[in-house]
Amino acid sequence: MNPAIDVIQALLLIAIAPLVRGVIARIKARIQNRRGASVLRPYADLLKLFRKQDLVADTASGLFRLAPVILFAVTVTAAVFVPVLHSSALFGLGGDFILFVYLLAVGKFFLMLGAMDGGSSFGGMGASREALVSALAEAPLLLALTSVAILTHTISLSGIVLATVQQYPLHLSAVYVFALGAMVLVAIAETGRVPVDNPATHLELTMLHEAMVLEYSGPSLALIEWASAIKLTLILALLVAVFAPWGMATGASIVGLVLALGAFSLKLAVSAIAIAVIESSIAKLRMYLVPDFLGMASALAILAVAFTALMR
Amino acid sequence: MMQTAFNSFLVALLIIPAVTLLCRRNRGTRVLPSLLLLLALLAGTVVAGFSFWRGDRLALDLSWATPFPFALTVDRLSAFFLLLICAVGVPVTLFSTSYVERHYSGAKADWMWALLPLFLLSMALVVTASTAFAFLFGWELMTLFSAGLIIIDGASERRRHNIFIYLVMMHAGAAAVIASFFLFLPHANSLDFISMRAAAASMPLGLRTAIFLLSFVGFGTKAGIVPFHLWLPKAHPIAPSPVSALMSAVMLKTAIYGFIRFTFDFLGGGPTWWGYLVLLTGAVTGLLGILYALTEHDLKRLLAYSSVENIGIIYLGLGAALVFMANNSPVWATLALVAALMHALNHSLFKSLLFLGAGAIADATHTLDIELLGGLLKRMRVTGTVFLIGCCSIIGLPLFNGFVGEWMLFRSFIEGAELPGISSAIILPLMAGVLALIGGIAAACFAKLYGIAFLGRARSVEAEHATEVATSMQVAMALLAAACVALGILPGLVLIPLMALGQELMHSPALPEAALPISHTLPLIAACVCVVIILVAGIRRIKRVTPTWACGLPALDSRMQYSSAAFSKPLRKVFSRVYEADRTVDVVYEQEPYFPKSIVYRSVRTTSFEKSLYRPAVDAIVGMAARLRRLQTGNMQVYLLYIFLALITLLVFMRFA
Repeated sequence: MNPAIDVIQALLLIAIAPLVRGVIARIKARIQNRRGASVLRPYADLLKLFRKQDLVADTASGLFRLAPVILFAVTVTAAVFVPVLHSSALFGLGGDFILFVYLLAVGKFFLMLGAMDGGSSFGGMGASREALVSALAEAPLLLALTSVAILTHTISLSGIVLATVQQYPLHLSAVYVFALGAMVLVAIAETGRVPVDNPATHLELTMLHEAMVLEYSGPSLALIEWASAIKLTLILALLVAVFAPWGMATGASIVGLVLALGAFSLKLAVSAIAIAVIESSIAKLRMYLVPDFLGMASALAILAVAFTALMR
Repeated sequence: MMQTAFNSFLVALLIIPAVTLLCRRNRGTRVLPSLLLLLALLAGTVVAGFSFWRGDRLALDLSWATPFPFALTVDRLSAFFLLLICAVGVPVTLFSTSYVERHYSGAKADWMWALLPLFLLSMALVVTASTAFAFLFGWELMTLFSAGLIIIDGASERRRHNIFIYLVMMHAGAAAVIASFFLFLPHANSLDFISMRAAAASMPLGLRTAIFLLSFVGFGTKAGIVPFHLWLPKAHPIAPSPVSALMSAVMLKTAIYGFIRFTFDFLGGGPTWWGYLVLLTGAVTGLLGILYALTEHDLKRLLAYSSVENIGIIYLGLGAALVFMANNSPVWATLALVAALMHALNHSLFKSLLFLGAGAIADATHTLDIELLGGLLKRMRVTGTVFLIGCCSIIGLPLFNGFVGEWMLFRSFIEGAELPGISSAIILPLMAGVLALIGGIAAACFAKLYGIAFLGRARSVEAEHATEVATSMQVAMALLAAACVALGILPGLVLIPLMALGQELMHSPALPEAALPISHTLPLIAACVCVVIILVAGIRRIKRVTPTWACGLPALDSRMQYSSAAFSKPLRKVFSRVYEADRTVDVVYEQEPYFPKSIVYRSVRTTSFEKSLYRPAVDAIVGMAARLRRLQTGNMQVYLLYIFLALITLLVFMRFA
């Protein structure tokens, strides 16, 4: 029974990922006094792209078309790590947060290479900026997760979730506050949202992710877009699982699972609203302020780790 | 049986130079030295592999032939490093067969085939020696033979200067190593490793600390820790590519071996601050190494700096092991030490792969400046593919071997939080952040390297007309790439004997069980990724080749691509304090202030250990020598006076002493 739930929850994450994007876009539209497109619009976009031709630059090598496939494959594999409905995942026991973070890094690396294979300056520009952000975001992300792992005495995501869900919510350590702060900042940077990157822009001065995928089209672009939607959902699910796992099923009863699904949808909706509000209310940071933004995340993560030792 | 194979391995390496000289006249037998070397190294791999896996001891006493005790012993630690030398030696030799043929003829080729086996032999000697004399003998020969191999490529003024710096630093390091051996003498009745180990137990802490510090500096110079890394980016790039591969991948590891032998085997660990010192050195070495690598455009200099970074990562593991030992936590000390050894093995595989790849690029394009490369993957499919595997391994992506060592390091750092001391419990987990930062910058650095050199448009005529290199070179690199992938997916292949080795060295009662599941998880993840890739590959993707979008302009040319300098600019700006770049812009006008004819922009890193640390020291030594020169007047009477005074002083001394 359990492995079946593990597979279902991973497929669920993969399937609803475009919906999360659609919801965020819709809420943003409402805040800006527009009606906005349907929340199902990202699915239609993907379908349209999958039916189109794949335009490949004449300078590009085989890597150009391989990169989206690898990006998609590792992102989907990472989805199998995150507990969603119940406090375990298929790769839950042996699979740990270090593997999770580094699997996502594989995708980023290949996307950077694919961008540079196009032979225009946009690809290099996007890859160079992505390299900056991911080089500085990796340390706070790992440190924040490390502090939580130290508190729960395990490095497996399932173990962390299980230990947290069994605690009384008010007994949580102050470490969680710092770790949550660091993780939220990193999550914004890693998923390419405002104020670090703007997913809705096509202006070269501001582009990070969009500059990298500029040369992609058709099914390759669909894979990249889907993968980045999955990544956004994954990181939200990770935040939810580590910092607010309450409501997850502990057994394998149908009722428990349905309740868990409801709780998860609610938490995901709340985080989507939060992202939409943040994106509508603050401006994008200047490129060279992004290191300061991530420096703040690093400081919070270092505090989180230090507090695990000071408060024991 | 194994003993015979080991003896004949050593003898074979010794006689190959003679064979080279005998066979050089005859065209038909010219391949004989390389064949013999390959066979000898394969035999060595098998012997070392068996001894490492089963923990058999081999011994060879040659004291009857030498004035000093001269004996070799292969225990598990030695076998591991011997395996590393031989296993990397095989593909390097294979690569050299075509490399030598294409680049050298006559005497140069003979020198190459004569010195290469001797260089390998000297390294084998270092890691198997069981007396101080044998160790130091191998240690000195290793430096000399490698310098000899560098000189084969020419001895211009600049190259001689670099080799001079290499030799001076190596001998300064060797002096520290010799001193640390001699400090054992008051307590050990002879300088063989068994009595040294026994003597270390009864030594006072002060003496142990002196030995530790001397061996730390001595071996650190060879390994290239900051601030003794100076010689690496000077000596490695000017060597022939197969030799750079051996120097970076294997020779540096003999220093790691020496440090482990002294600190863990002889001294058995020490106070916590030893661990902090090694840990801090590792962190600084790793960060500075990769930050310097990021700015390099010369492929081999970049790889040399990246070796500095990887040595830093290995030292992080060694430092963590020392901290765990000092806190009576041998199980986790085992894990940290195994992580360091695992990374040493992995580094020797992917770094030799990358240096051979650099050799292949130089062979095809006659340049190592990545700003002049580009689009090589299309023209050199095999080289491009294996080089990509090397890049993925070196930045520690999962399913490639570099990840395994780093994962175990992360695991042991996190476990540091359980230590009783509050400083250890904070410092060790924070090192996980340092390691992640190093990894992140390394990813940027190698994305730059691969993206600029292998992808996009060719930036020069040479790169545009590059063709794939000789088959034996391809096979050599493919062997190393296959090893990188195999160890990345199935780390259990070496993890099990390595754990046994760590347990032996740490006298640990148990294995770090918590770290073992990684060898089951990685194959599962590999399977999962493969399944998804196969599923996605089924999606219909009709390919149509079009020109790159040029914003409506007629066409793009290669100068419009991002360059290596532009790519690393954002990170260089963030870490500008490390570089303190000095920038100059020279504009030549046709008609001032418009229509510039040429613009030259130059940006140079002004921070350097050469300027701030070595220059003052060298100046002081030279200044002192100049002052001492006044004693040397050249006047015969004055010298007679010196002799007379010396005699009187001695007589007075003997009378009253």
